Amino acid sequence: MKLELQKLKNEFLENLEKATDSNVLRDLELKYLSRKGELSQLLRRVKELSLETRREVGEMANIVKTELQERFDHMKNLIDGKETQGKKIDITLPGIKKPLGHFHPTTLVERELEDLFASLGFMVCDGPELESDYYNFTALNFPKNHPAREMQDTFFIDKKNAQGEYDLIMRTQTSPVQIRAMKQFGAPLRAIVPGQCFRSEATDARHEHSFYQLEGLMIDKNISFADLKGVLLAVLRKLYGPETQLRMRPKHYPFVEPGSNGECTCFLCKGKGCRVCKYSGWLEILGCGSIHPNVLRAGGIDPTEYTGFAFGFGLDRLVMLKYNIDDVRLFHSGDLRFLEQF
Amino acid sequence: MYLSINWLKDFVKIPEQVSPQEIASRLNQHTVEVEKTIIQDQQFAQVVIGKVLTVKKHPNADRLRVTTVDVGKEELTIVCGAPNVAEGQFVAVALVGATLPNGLVIKEAEIRGEKSYGMICAEDELGLGTNHEGIMVLDKRAKIGSGLADYLGMNDAIMEVDNKSLSNRPDLWGHYGLARELSVLFNVELNEYKPKEIKSEGQEKIKIEVQDEKACPRYMAVMIKNIKIAPSPQWLQDRLLALGSRPINNIVDITNYVMLESGQPLHAFDARKVDKIGVRLAKNGEKIITLDDKERILTHQDIVIVDSEGPIALAGVMGGKNSEVDDGTVSLIIESANFNSAAIRKTAQRLALRSESSIRFEKSLDPENCPLALRRAVELIKEIVPSAKVGGELIDIKHFSHHEHSISLSLAWLEKVIGAKIPAEKVMEILYRLGFKVNFTEVKKTKSWLGLFSSKEQPENFIVQVPSWRAKDINIPEDLAEEIARIYGYNNIDPRMPEITLDTLVINQDKRVERLVKDILVLEEALTETRNYVFISEEQIKKLGGNIKNYLQIANPIASNQNILRQELATNLLANIKNNQAQGNIALFEIGNIFLNQEGIFDKEGNDEEKLPYQEKRLALVFSSDNEEIDRVAKGSLENLFWRLSSSSVTYQENKNIPTWADNRESAGIYVNNQLMGIIAVVSKKTLEALGLKKKTIVMEINFSHLVDLVLKSETKYKPLPKYPALIRDLAFVLSSEIVYNDIKNDILKFDPLIKEVDLFDIYQGSSLEEGKKSLAFHVSYQANDHTLTSEEVDIVVQKLLKHLAEKYQAQIRNF
Repeated sequence: MKLELQKLKNEFLENLEKATDSNVLRDLELKYLSRKGELSQLLRRVKELSLETRREVGEMANIVKTELQERFDHMKNLIDGKETQGKKIDITLPGIKKPLGHFHPTTLVERELEDLFASLGFMVCDGPELESDYYNFTALNFPKNHPAREMQDTFFIDKKNAQGEYDLIMRTQTSPVQIRAMKQFGAPLRAIVPGQCFRSEATDARHEHSFYQLEGLMIDKNISFADLKGVLLAVLRKLYGPETQLRMRPKHYPFVEPGSNGECTCFLCKGKGCRVCKYSGWLEILGCGSIHPNVLRAGGIDPTEYTGFAFGFGLDRLVMLKYNIDDVRLFHSGDLRFLEQF
Repeated sequence: MYLSINWLKDFVKIPEQVSPQEIASRLNQHTVEVEKTIIQDQQFAQVVIGKVLTVKKHPNADRLRVTTVDVGKEELTIVCGAPNVAEGQFVAVALVGATLPNGLVIKEAEIRGEKSYGMICAEDELGLGTNHEGIMVLDKRAKIGSGLADYLGMNDAIMEVDNKSLSNRPDLWGHYGLARELSVLFNVELNEYKPKEIKSEGQEKIKIEVQDEKACPRYMAVMIKNIKIAPSPQWLQDRLLALGSRPINNIVDITNYVMLESGQPLHAFDARKVDKIGVRLAKNGEKIITLDDKERILTHQDIVIVDSEGPIALAGVMGGKNSEVDDGTVSLIIESANFNSAAIRKTAQRLALRSESSIRFEKSLDPENCPLALRRAVELIKEIVPSAKVGGELIDIKHFSHHEHSISLSLAWLEKVIGAKIPAEKVMEILYRLGFKVNFTEVKKTKSWLGLFSSKEQPENFIVQVPSWRAKDINIPEDLAEEIARIYGYNNIDPRMPEITLDTLVINQDKRVERLVKDILVLEEALTETRNYVFISEEQIKKLGGNIKNYLQIANPIASNQNILRQELATNLLANIKNNQAQGNIALFEIGNIFLNQEGIFDKEGNDEEKLPYQEKRLALVFSSDNEEIDRVAKGSLENLFWRLSSSSVTYQENKNIPTWADNRESAGIYVNNQLMGIIAVVSKKTLEALGLKKKTIVMEINFSHLVDLVLKSETKYKPLPKYPALIRDLAFVLSSEIVYNDIKNDILKFDPLIKEVDLFDIYQGSSLEEGKKSLAFHVSYQANDHTLTSEEVDIVVQKLLKHLAEKYQAQIRNF
């Protein structure tokens, strides 16, 4: 028994000397020192010895046990210390990459505008992208022979009506939703319509056949052209800073009268003139006007009782300006190298 | 359209100190969009007149010559490629540093080893014509060293107006119309456009018959005799050239001149070649050779001018070759007519023949302008060709009702819609200068309405009579409001915020849920949002195993690969995967519409009878990855999405609607509370190959309105915490791969009321199992509502369950 104890001690110490890391230590502890380890098993057999030898061996065993434990603890401290010494944290290391999702940039700008208009009490409306000639043109006061109704500007669906005419189109503007919203909600009405529109146009860095607009309208009693200016100016100042100015000049759209376009102070150069604003200090970003009485009528609203205004932003252009994007085709490219920047 | 400021000043006296830029700016703010203002003498700032002193052959190039040119201050060596350069010529020399109208910047150059200090210019390089045959040779009045602009008499400024901004203003397609606007903007008198009356000086008769009155509301013509065709005088040529119109001969130039001045296109026929004149619709297949030497095949929608033999002009678009004025022409018939705008537009478009004439007629011109233009043409002809005589009576065939309608305008209403108080006097002044006649009804006339009103005498209502040239675009009080507001100045109207009754905001649930979905997918599930075209190609459909037969198509697509409307978002999302393969593993989503060739729910005609084709908003997710278990990763994202949106859980069940690009066994319906929400499918090997996709790819496509309904219906209710603890036992068994998880899971769940939850935690198929077998391992949770379960109680259920599974599925229990 003493011999066995001696052997066990030597074996253990020999292994302990060789131990270089905490894994080996853990194995040694398990094999020799744990409750089921070899030393414990040996100690359990002490009971079987005669009373005399039992005391002697017992004492010795305890000494060995204490010694082994001390030697073990010492070695453990040594190794642990060494390990922490060697494993000093480099606090400048980067984090481990976690997968990250990305919003489409148009979504980000759309939300910004939706929230801004919501704060002014404008609801968000939407409508079908495949529209009828009626909602896209007739109801919006386009005369029968207006050039926009022709094949060179509008995508027609290859499906003729009973009269043998193409009367289904991809909407060329978000404005048909004006009529749908008037019919659904009546007056008074405050709404914006973000959405995709389509025009038969060859694509290049600045032109896209599928593009986004953000349309808005307000109908109430006593709404005037001056109110239109007030709301637009408030929105532009919120978006581009309190110094922003609005400049308007006449522009004809069949669904507004008076009709206007709108330019705001170039927010990149603060009106000083830069490449983006073609050194004019102004950015042309919207079309607007007072809603034509025929349009109100088509929406089921009495133009003698209510008046209103409507405006439309080129959403793509706002996104391009905001993020300095130089090619409109990127929006529909599905290119992750683009999308992952937002 | 180009406008000459000198020409405009023929009609309005704009003060000398007003710069061309100021004129352009006023027009921009109040009337039309001026895109560019070209100051002529600045345009030729570094172009001077030189005299060619010597011409030698270039030593290294046969076609080039080395010249020396005297430009006054110095003698320059210039290499020239023109064949017509010769000693003694006066030429236009662009000096080093000049920028030509076409953008060319002149620099010192070495051409095949010879230095060149400038350029001798051709017409086209100076923007003075199209001639590039040789350099422009000037006449002897040229003064060496002086500016080319001086020589050309170019002291004008030319404004380029965006034609689109004129599209609703037929009256602005000539200088006189814009002069009228300037008279308002600068508050100066407008000279009356009053050419001399035409007096007949002969007995010639022209037989004219207008067969289609709708096609031609007015046809005026007059015969002119004793004409001599010659080049136009220089002043006329200069005016045309300045506006980019090429001089041809005196008669053609005069018709063009009058058009640019009055806005009314004219046409001159050689009277020898025409025996009578008829105006009618063409017969289908009828032919005419137009002035550009092209044969045009006509349809019954085109309007033609005919004589007894057939068409002699394509009305309002272009003259015919067979009646053209030529060098031998001695007598003319000059036409000043009004044609149906829609017909002209259609013809011009079908034949791709947009002429200066057609772009005007298609705007719907004022028939009252016909006589003025004709009188002006005759006046000019008699001035330029003094021998000319009016051959007979002026012919005027009218089929339009002369009316100048009136609009009642209330000042109170005007203030209400504009939101600014514009004084009555200002309103009247604006309208008067624009050519409207204004009377007022509510107040007694004072001595002169242009005089001052006292505040008590402010008129309340006006009767505004619309002049003929505005009859088309001014019809209602709102149109007058625009006239007043734009001249007053949109920028002079003070902005104000609307005063309205406060109300709560109506929430668009669709948009709200869209926002939630995007937030969850992007922020929690790390997907990337994409927006694709709604257009796809036949090739894409074919590669996905589909048939284009039932797809809605675009009648006039922009490109042959974008001619079909998508029926699933997957089509373009799979293209996204292909295009991004180099980026590694991909997880994308899109929210967008699909289109089916069947009746939908949106109203079509405003009367709730017909409907638009079916359109459905969808959410689609696509994952592509090296991870063999990507389908389950994808499902994890989907399940999280549904839990977040509605605290509900998702099941996948067999569904008949299998995409053409997936295998039967690898496609399922996505269900929540037994409602089908969409489909999930792994892209089949065959399709991956057809598309060139390299990684395992899975698509989920969900009907968005179902999602919105689910969110609206869902209610999260708190469940009391369990009073008694649950016991969890693990259960693992091997069974046939044919048996699906859903069946087993539901079977276990229903087996005993004590079983509350069944949660799959391991699935294994592989070498250590028999072929066709799989191993499933579940945590099964047991719980009673009324007491703490004992181990023994659970053991009994477990034993029964094992027996049941062994019997029903031949499941072999694996021991732990």
